[in-house]
This record gives sequence, structure tokens and C-alpha cells, in this order.
Amino acid sequence: MAMKGGLKRKSKAASEIPSSSLADMAFLLLIFFMVTTTFRKEQPREVVFPEAEATEKLEQPRKDVLHLYVESDGSIFINDQLVGPDQVSNMIAPLYRDNTSMVVMLRSDRDVPYVTIDQILKELQAAGALRVAFYTNLEQRMLRERR
Amino acid sequence: MALMKKKNRPTGEIPTSSMADIAFLLLVFFLVTTVFDEERGLSIVLPEQGSEVQVSPKNVLFLMVQPNGVVNIQRGENPQIQQATANQVAGIWRQEFANNPNLIAAVKTSPNAPYRFMIDVLDQLHTAGADKISLQVLE
Repeated sequence: MAMKGGLKRKSKAASEIPSSSLADMAFLLLIFFMVTTTFRKEQPREVVFPEAEATEKLEQPRKDVLHLYVESDGSIFINDQLVGPDQVSNMIAPLYRDNTSMVVMLRSDRDVPYVTIDQILKELQAAGALRVAFYTNLEQRMLRERR
Repeated sequence: MALMKKKNRPTGEIPTSSMADIAFLLLVFFLVTTVFDEERGLSIVLPEQGSEVQVSPKNVLFLMVQPNGVVNIQRGENPQIQQATANQVAGIWRQEFANNPNLIAAVKTSPNAPYRFMIDVLDQLHTAGADKISLQVLE
């Protein structure tokens, strides 16, 4: 029993959280976010998109989405390049051949006359790019009822 | 002279205790400023060129979008035209589809109608679960 006094614990566990690896962790996260962030290639365009309640997220990798902008004056832009309405097919066809899982995202201004859109759809059909999505902003039901 | 010895000599180490703070600051900055631009919209698959199929007019619901946003609805061969707003399209489609499960929605938009009116109708058809949709120009 007298031995008990000699059995004192020698190595007490440190009561501090080790913080020396905190910087490593933070930098790791930082580098991860820096690497995975992709910056938009296109110039911002002044386009007001239409709204739709049924807007859904497109489950398509970003590299498979081709953006086609239509401005309110009817001018069409593909990859920041002004394209004539009858040139869309020529422009899209080689891009589609390179990537057959391509989806054309039609980012059109809400006030463009429909004839322009129809022309573009016909051009896309001619190029074989059949998967099209109309870019819309999600419409809230509350707003719709107020209208 | 022994008393003149330098007392606090600067340490030869770079202080690393604030490194985590700096790194987290940068991390928070990037997290806050990153905007994920997700792809969203109404998707549709166009028919292949030259693959037009003849459908019986009785299986078609014509939705004619006028330049003022009014939708004229014509049921198949029935010459009667019903005027509706875009908001009513979903209800009408559900009703008609219950009567005829082979129904195809033909959205015919006037060439001068703004794009958003066509989207309104397409939105309603998507909401109502229509999957056979044809987009055309109104002649």
C-alpha cells in the first residue's frame, strides 16, 4: 500500500488541441478551392432572361454546355463571337462533332421576337445539336400571383 | 562590460502562429466571393432533321401564342378556338391529357411574339408534366 504513492502518473496528456497543423489544413482547403474554381470565359452580356416556374438544374458537366447568347436586338453570340443568324449551323456543327454530348444553352433575352429563336432552333437541328435548354430564372409563385 | 550584453536578441524564426489566421482569412474570402453559376433552364430535345412524323390531328393540342401573350387553344380538328392566358395552360393540358394520353402539345408562336410568352407556355407544359412538345412558328 505504501507503493501507491510511487505510482504517480508520469506522462500527463496535454490538455491543448494541437494547432500546429491548422495552417496546413487551411492552406489545403484554400488550394482546393483555388484549383476547382473556374472563371467564366464569356464577357457579360446585357440580357434579361425570362422566368419560369419549372426551371430545373441541368445535370450536365460544364464542359458539355455551349452558351448561345441572343441579345434583345437579335444579335447572336457564340463564344463571344458575333454570329449571323444563318451562320449558327456552320459554327455549331464542328463544335458538336468534337463533343457529341453537348447541350446548347440558349441564353436569350426575354423580348426577342420568336422568329429569331425559331431560326436558331432550325440551325441547331441542321447542325445535329438536338439537345437544347432554354435558360430561365426560377420564378417564385408569389411573384406570379401578384402579377 | 559584462552587464552591457544584449538582453533580448531577436529570434531567428519566422513567427508561424498567425499563419493559420492568414490562411483562414484567405479561405473565407474565396468562399464568400465564389459564385457558382449553375446551368438551369427548361430543356428540350429537338427532333432530328428530316424525321418529321405525321400525327393524327386529333392527338394534337394546338397552343397558338399571339404577340400580346394571349394563347389561342385549338383541340385537334375542332375548329373552335378557346382564348386563354398562359397561366391557364397547365390546367387545360392536364384536363386534355387525362382524356387522351397520346396528346401532343404543339406550341405555335407568332413570329412577332416576344420569346418570353413562348417560355411562359413551355413552362406551364413542363409544370403539367407534358413530354411531347413541338415548337413551331405560327403562320
